[in-house]
Amino acid sequence: MRTRTRLSLALAAALVALALAAAAAQNQNGEGSAEWTPPRTPDGQPDLQGIWTSYTATPFEVPDASDNPALYSGDPDGTGRGTGPSSFLNDTIDRKLTKGRSLVVDPPNGRVPIMSWAEERRTYKLLHIQDHWENHTAWERCITRGVPGGIFPTGYGAGYQILQGPGYVAIVYEMIHEARIIPLDGRPHAGSSIRLWNGDSRGRWEGDTLVVDITNYNDKGSLATNAASQRVRAIPQSEALHVVERFTRVDENTIDYEATIEDPKVFTAPWRVAMPLHREPDYQIFEYACHEGNLAIPNTLSAGRARDKAGATRRTP
Amino acid sequence: MRAPLFMAAASLVVLAAGAPLVAHHAFAAEFDGTKPVTLTGTVTKMDWINPHAWLHMDVKGPDGKVESWMVEGGAPNALLRRGWNRRSVPPGTVVTVEGFRAKDGSTRASGGAVTLPDGRKLFIGASPDAPGEGK
Repeated sequence: MRTRTRLSLALAAALVALALAAAAAQNQNGEGSAEWTPPRTPDGQPDLQGIWTSYTATPFEVPDASDNPALYSGDPDGTGRGTGPSSFLNDTIDRKLTKGRSLVVDPPNGRVPIMSWAEERRTYKLLHIQDHWENHTAWERCITRGVPGGIFPTGYGAGYQILQGPGYVAIVYEMIHEARIIPLDGRPHAGSSIRLWNGDSRGRWEGDTLVVDITNYNDKGSLATNAASQRVRAIPQSEALHVVERFTRVDENTIDYEATIEDPKVFTAPWRVAMPLHREPDYQIFEYACHEGNLAIPNTLSAGRARDKAGATRRTP
Repeated sequence: MRAPLFMAAASLVVLAAGAPLVAHHAFAAEFDGTKPVTLTGTVTKMDWINPHAWLHMDVKGPDGKVESWMVEGGAPNALLRRGWNRRSVPPGTVVTVEGFRAKDGSTRASGGAVTLPDGRKLFIGASPDAPGEGK
């Protein structure tokens, strides 16, 4: 008995030391607090519940001279972007946002290791959005912003509601009004013949961190869908995509969100995004019935047909 | 004065480079940045729908003929945060809208500033990459 008690004490001491070391490491990053432990749900999970947003002023990647922002924003000729200032606020700059170097933290240069074929395919699609609806990302088609892309920053509609029940975490996404139901009971992933736009999520707790493992993707979607993701917008996902998300509530108002992305058919190495989610109890999530007002696809295609009639040449990359 | 002006210009450039774009789609794929249009007319309906709100208005041309125009706006949640609400432009309101014409030649436009009868201006725009909205 005595030996067992000593062993238990030693184990407890080791766990406390580990927890303190982890807290100290968080403090070094300027986030979290050694004193702060997340509240618990009635069934004992660390409580991540609430309304969170992902608005940020930090660029997705570290910019590079080879980048083509006009292409990523869908304006390859650069005819749309003006120079005049606007006195009007939008959802993004109405917030006090800190700006870091890039959301991509690994590799350390802040650049996603994209294979050249995937960049070529993205460039073709973005240059030809007036020619076929399939050249638009799944976001513009009102299907999905993807997982993990649905949490990557955007200029509006970046609200998320996290709900927890025994054995499950649910995340309601404002944009496209998607809902992810993540089981925590250790069940295996779906069979390999099941292929999904947003993959198959399985969650578990590692200490106070919710870890979500996602596989079973289809090869129709994109890793990221909107212009704020810069060079990664419209980069395809393959069935080999594997994502691990980590949600750690580091203080009352902050979840540290991370996603490690590996897709050996699309990227030459795994890479990682890290960004805070901010608690905004007063933020209201509105219904986002995307198809109701999505005239973007017919209007874009009709603009392309008007261009064809006028005899303008089609783009060839 | 020079230094603050320079600082202001510099911060605008930073915003333009760093701020995520707001529109659900690309401005230039649908609208023509070289074809600005100013529409004065009577609101017939405001569609508070996603991903873009649409302002419908009747505009009388120089020949007296009335045309129905559709002006694209931002997402309802974005407009609410800019000061819009459902009482902003009830049917019958006479407004002036600055925007850019659709590339297919239809009576659609991407909206920018909307001037209300009392002179107040609200920004309806969906596309910060439209000319004059470079942020």
